[in-house]
Amino acid sequence: MTRAIGAGDDITLTELWADPYPAYAKLRQDEPVAWVPAVNRYLVTKHRDIVALERRPEIFSADETGSLMKRVMGHTMLRKDGPAHDRERTGAEAPMRPRPVRDHWTPLFQKTADDLIDGFAERGEADLFRDFAGPFAALNLAMMLGFDDVAAADLQEWSQALMDGTGNYGDVEAVWRRAEAAGAGVDQAVLRAVERLGAQPRPSLISAMLHAGDPLSVDEIRANVKMFIGGGLNEPRDSLATGLYALLCHPDQAQACIDDPALWRRAFEETIRWVAPIGMYPRQTTQEVELGGTVLPARAKLGIVLASAGRDEDVFDHPDDFDLRRKATHHISFGGGPHYCLGSFAARAEVSQVAWPTLFRRLRNLRLDPDNPVRWGGWVFRGVLNLPVRWDP
Amino acid sequence: MPNVNFRHRDGSIDVVDAPLGSSLMSAAIKHPVDGIIAECGGNAMCATCHVYVDAAFGDRLPPMAEEEDEMLDGTASARTERSRLSCQIVVTEEMAGMTVDVPADQV
Repeated sequence: MTRAIGAGDDITLTELWADPYPAYAKLRQDEPVAWVPAVNRYLVTKHRDIVALERRPEIFSADETGSLMKRVMGHTMLRKDGPAHDRERTGAEAPMRPRPVRDHWTPLFQKTADDLIDGFAERGEADLFRDFAGPFAALNLAMMLGFDDVAAADLQEWSQALMDGTGNYGDVEAVWRRAEAAGAGVDQAVLRAVERLGAQPRPSLISAMLHAGDPLSVDEIRANVKMFIGGGLNEPRDSLATGLYALLCHPDQAQACIDDPALWRRAFEETIRWVAPIGMYPRQTTQEVELGGTVLPARAKLGIVLASAGRDEDVFDHPDDFDLRRKATHHISFGGGPHYCLGSFAARAEVSQVAWPTLFRRLRNLRLDPDNPVRWGGWVFRGVLNLPVRWDP
Repeated sequence: MPNVNFRHRDGSIDVVDAPLGSSLMSAAIKHPVDGIIAECGGNAMCATCHVYVDAAFGDRLPPMAEEEDEMLDGTASARTERSRLSCQIVVTEEMAGMTVDVPADQV
């Protein structure tokens, strides 16, 4: 195939990891669906094109060939289309709906938050990424899965190892080994949970899949649990830490939330618009199709750049600013179509109903540590990498 | 096909031709009606096609399944007795002239 020099030709993985937003702004402007050699995909960067393609899952398939996610996790529902996907999704859905999230999970999230804060409240300083956001997300996820006997540290290790494996395009042997070890750990934990929950259903994800009207097999449960561990830990962790950073940079907006608690949810939606925790996910075309002015061949691999959609100047005014009072609020950071984030309501509750209000209430005069700057990284997954803060103990 | 009125908060109205047998949400998306988002595409998973249905038409709607009832607890704008997910409403002749209010926020 011959082609003209494109807007994506000069993009490097290094610059995407450091700060992808300038490259995305240029792509939106010059070539909204562009072949990017560095990532070996077409990147789709406009909000309207992503909304349109998620309405046509029969053409823009989630079942990607050569998927590293399949290699590391098995064939999860996130890489299936149509009825095969819907069967597994339906089986897992009940415990993640808004009502059980509010009535059953939120009081448990609150206990997780208070226990963690009890451990450091007197210190007057902490890295809230390491000391709070990570363990908070891990402990909550263990409960939601139905893992009664898995330590938060193990879950965090498994999550990182599985995520690194699904992104191991460099084919690094040590990364495969670590992901395999994590996968084996998850398999064992699932087996124990299945034995426990077989006799006694509980409101957890594994229990729901096991006791669904059309029950999932143990292999299906294992694959999906690996996907939930990949997607249910780092994303609430990153949105929690990134949004908290934004609120600490904008004390007037934090105060507005404290004065009117209904605004915490607005702050959450604004956070994931501003920096989408899942910045990019894959799709693959099933036939030749035109999208955003580019003709895509059949079986073209696409990167759907949610991070860019959140900064699309055609939808959001001053898109690079964090502003929970903005008028347009239609972000698409939970994805769209049949694969819309299963954990969206749990994440909203964990972060905006529990974590942020509790931290601001319990840590008096909470502020960024002026001596320790916040670092950022990532483009497939992005957020702050640390969050050093101080308060008046 | 029946017309359904989507009333916005500023009082303006989109009159939508709603094909019989389709969902009210898909008719709104085709129109398109600003403020009906339907992120999940009609699977009762996202609660972003929330509408408030004219009480006079309440008994002409399909009954609410448990999934819809539970999802409505997660709407961005407050749930009321008139709240429904438009993806779960299949259009019938009896809905001709029905008015639904579009909420302030869906996300």
